[in-house]
Amino acid sequence: MAKLLVVDDDKNLRLLYEQELSDEGHQITLADSGPAALDYLKGQRPDLVILDISMPGMDGIEALGKILAKDKSMPVILNTAYSTYKDNFMTWSADAYVVKSGDLTELKAKIREVLKSRGLGN
Amino acid sequence: MENILRDTLTIILAGGQGERLYPLTRDRAKPAVPFGGIYRIIDFTLSNCLNSGCARIYVLTQYKSFSLDRHLVLGWSQFFNSPEIGRYMHILPPQMRTGTSWYLGTADAIYQNIYTLERERPKRVLILAGDHIYKMDYAEMARCHVENNAALTVACMPVEKDRANQLGILRVDPKYQITGFQEKPKENPATIPGDPDRCLASMGIYIFETDDLVRRISQDARKNSEHDFGKNIIPDMVEQGEKVFGYLFKDENKKDTPYWRDVGTLDGYYEANMDLVSVNPQFNLYDRDWPIRTYQEQFPPAKFVFAESGDVARRGAAHDSLVSSGAIVSGGQVMRSILSPQVRVNSFAVVEDSILMEGVNIGRHAKVRRAIIDKGVRIPEGTTIGHDPESDRRRFIVTQKGVVVVPKEMALE
Repeated sequence: MAKLLVVDDDKNLRLLYEQELSDEGHQITLADSGPAALDYLKGQRPDLVILDISMPGMDGIEALGKILAKDKSMPVILNTAYSTYKDNFMTWSADAYVVKSGDLTELKAKIREVLKSRGLGN
Repeated sequence: MENILRDTLTIILAGGQGERLYPLTRDRAKPAVPFGGIYRIIDFTLSNCLNSGCARIYVLTQYKSFSLDRHLVLGWSQFFNSPEIGRYMHILPPQMRTGTSWYLGTADAIYQNIYTLERERPKRVLILAGDHIYKMDYAEMARCHVENNAALTVACMPVEKDRANQLGILRVDPKYQITGFQEKPKENPATIPGDPDRCLASMGIYIFETDDLVRRISQDARKNSEHDFGKNIIPDMVEQGEKVFGYLFKDENKKDTPYWRDVGTLDGYYEANMDLVSVNPQFNLYDRDWPIRTYQEQFPPAKFVFAESGDVARRGAAHDSLVSSGAIVSGGQVMRSILSPQVRVNSFAVVEDSILMEGVNIGRHAKVRRAIIDKGVRIPEGTTIGHDPESDRRRFIVTQKGVVVVPKEMALE
């Protein structure tokens, strides 16, 4: 079991991730914006952050920069509906980049992969 | 191929503190340290950029950058800035986009400015140090990089084996693909095939494919490393079998031995300056095919006076010396020295083997030998510097080789 922070401005998606990833055996914390996530990270250290990019105000790219500036070893998966950000150099410091789709197979696989590379999970 | 440098973004790392050049770097960044009377150290790299045809340039500044900024804006903007036709030089102080620290290493300096690479989207990036003295055509290096289809090309030059412990040493195959990289190896440095007394040293000049650069520095930024090209990025790339090539320095200085100096120490700095006053200097400032430019304020021509007085001892003269405009040798004697603009050497004073920076005034009957006198210092009448090591050590910094350094605007009595 790993502690995951899921950051997404879409309420329905947050609920979907919470349910599906809890079923995988993870402990889920939700944040609805970049600033909310950074606020949470002031006092907590999850094993992995799953970060949406397109959000009002601070987007996921800016939030990624701030998360890594605070803790460069924090694993982060960018999870976005758009593949275009993949070319953006600012996203290249993330551990993985997942394009959102109807089912969460790829996201779950990436979570396992990243946790494994950090010596977490099975 | 002709426009190879148009697709290349040039980044000059000009943020070095130059601690070993203290006190010359007390009030200025190392690239802004004056050199050869009218130049500053960064002028040599910028002249190379201009002569090579670099079109898009960023100068990354950091510590004590005021005089460097001023020099770049006043002296160099006019050569590089035609943004409408895609030619520009921007000065970029730390933006603190990725954190609140100063640059942790050379690779971190680029990583902290990844936003600029994202906006510019060049095909490749030429990374230069702003504090080395040499002449090189970067377009030729870029052509070699493209021909080799390399991810990274590192400029290198042959050095004697006993200097290997101060430099990054490359092991290459016959096609100059790098098969090993040792940063300042303490023993057994890789020697040049067929030349067991010499090694290939990195000159700190890199051309990266942009994607390879960004991928590497983004990964490196997440690690506990020194965030340095020589210590981390290049060894990693070589070890992982990436296409990393050496580019053998072709010296535009056109002398028998290739000239490249990292004037990192006071003695090295002194010697590189003193080379210029010799009859046939190793470093050629006079080649119109590879001009070295700078910014200098306009002053009246240099002047030498008091021959008319009939007093031979008061006949102002300079021999085997560089004398800049605005200088007045007013009845003093100057031998093997560099006089920067607005220096004044007064009657009966004797200056030998010294570097006098802008506005230095040598009082009557003063004797100055083997000294670097920084800007604006007034040497009082009758003062002796460079003749009595013990007394010099009490008042000034004296280098290992006995050169006396008087800091900028130091008040003397």
